[in-house]
Amino acid sequence: MSFRHLDRFAQVRSPVTRVPAAGRVFGTVVLALATATLPAGAWVQLGLLAAVSLALLAIAHVPLRVALARLAWPLGLVLLASLALLVVMPGEPLARLGPVAVTAQGADRFAMVMGRAMVALLPAVLLVSTTSFPELLQGLRELRVPVAVATALGLAYRLLYLTVDELERLQRAARSRHAGGGVTRRRHLITAIAAATLGRAFVRAERTHAAMLARGFRGTLPLLHAPVWTYRAVLNVAAVSILVLAVAASARLP
Amino acid sequence: MTALVQARDVTYHYPDGTPALDTVAFTVAAGERVALLGPTGAGKSTLLQSLNGLLRPSAGAVLVGGVAVNDETVTAVRRRVGLVFQNPDDQLFLPSLLEDVAFGPLNAGASRAEAATRSHAVLEALGLAAAHDRAAHHLSGGERRLAALATVLVSQPDLLVLDEPSGDLDARSRRRLRDILAERREALLVATHDLEFVRGLCSRALVLVAGKLAWDGALDVLLADRAMMERFGLVA
Ligand SMILES: Nc1ncnc2c1ncn2[C@@H]1O[C@H](COP(=O)(O)OP(=O)(O)OP(=O)(O)O)[C@@H](O)[C@H]1O
Ligand SMILES: [Mg+2]
Repeated sequence: MSFRHLDRFAQVRSPVTRVPAAGRVFGTVVLALATATLPAGAWVQLGLLAAVSLALLAIAHVPLRVALARLAWPLGLVLLASLALLVVMPGEPLARLGPVAVTAQGADRFAMVMGRAMVALLPAVLLVSTTSFPELLQGLRELRVPVAVATALGLAYRLLYLTVDELERLQRAARSRHAGGGVTRRRHLITAIAAATLGRAFVRAERTHAAMLARGFRGTLPLLHAPVWTYRAVLNVAAVSILVLAVAASARLP
Repeated sequence: MTALVQARDVTYHYPDGTPALDTVAFTVAAGERVALLGPTGAGKSTLLQSLNGLLRPSAGAVLVGGVAVNDETVTAVRRRVGLVFQNPDDQLFLPSLLEDVAFGPLNAGASRAEAATRSHAVLEALGLAAAHDRAAHHLSGGERRLAALATVLVSQPDLLVLDEPSGDLDARSRRRLRDILAERREALLVATHDLEFVRGLCSRALVLVAGKLAWDGALDVLLADRAMMERFGLVA
């Protein structure tokens, strides 16, 4: 799947895409924050919030397979970062891995961190899958995120997009010229491609920026379609937010 | 009559020191059609970008409608000088063609309704009406080229500046683009290696060689002079 099809569900009409981008960003932040701040051991609440996210994905017609695939990358990073938890938490040793012991407390904490990360990332996946980037920027601006931040994000996104685009092109070119080759040779090839990709992406980002300037760009991306808040959309965002906050609050009850 | 665009001894060095333009001087009048020729690396793209203030001359000046291009005037200048880039992919970056075309008018302060109306009209005129809600990367090379043109035409510039417009187009798309350009009333400045594309489309030619203006005169006269063309590196 190509990077530029990231927001391919943005064109799918659903109760989710009928909520203006600002509402979607708001809902994502509420859901992700509520999940990330769940106390350790709140497995029931974690399950409920996961159910909310999964229901929203289904409503937006984002297939679970796609959502999980998009989760893999960021989740991998969390996994790496939290592996240490397994061994640094003091407690009863469960198993020995060479010189270090995995503790029961460590395993529990690790499972909670991974679970929370997974559930907190789901709404973010939903957001980027259903929202085109200009819409997202517009939403951020409506939520009073400073223009400079929104624009910087826009340009970073643009660079990312170009990097992946160039990468795909170079890979295709390289593949068509080198059908096989040993591991060493492939490693050289990958390094060369990585270097060329970054260089080219920068040059292209600069050219695109020039093309934007040439058409009067002054730092804000104007949108052709004004977001429309329907009564239903307001109600939906409010209902989901209240549900999520109630679940989060229940985890804090004594 | 004031010239539409006037280059006054424009000299440009890239930040890394590469000299690209050396005291280039010419004027373009309203409605005039000019081919900008020259071997690769001669400075054509650099010159085009200096005409709408994307690059500022190291020495000399560019005047548009008699007004010098500077920080205060650059916005107005860009509205009068519409630049179509060599690679349409650099120019199209929004999720749909319609939004890409509306980008210029919206930046210029047009209302959403007005921007949409004008964008639809331009897409219609270029035969792209059916593709208005498609993303640029789903268009063919020829359609993309026309789309890039649309993003500039919609702002109704007085001078249309095109960098290599016929590159990587098949014979039919080239013909179509050329026919469209031939019908426009804006002044045209077309940088190209494709002599057949500008023959009959442009009446005048500027030739850049190594950053210097080597020739400024009738295109027909130039094309008929094989020896001169060879000297300028325009034919093999
Ligand atoms: N960003 C840059 N930094 C440094 N030098 C550059 C840059 N862009 C172009 N040049 C150099 O400036 C000179 C003029 O380049 P320019 O792109 O204007 O030529 P051109 O006539 O458009 O060529 P072509 O027909 O191949 O498009 C060349 O020597 C080129 O290498
Ligand atoms: Mg060029």
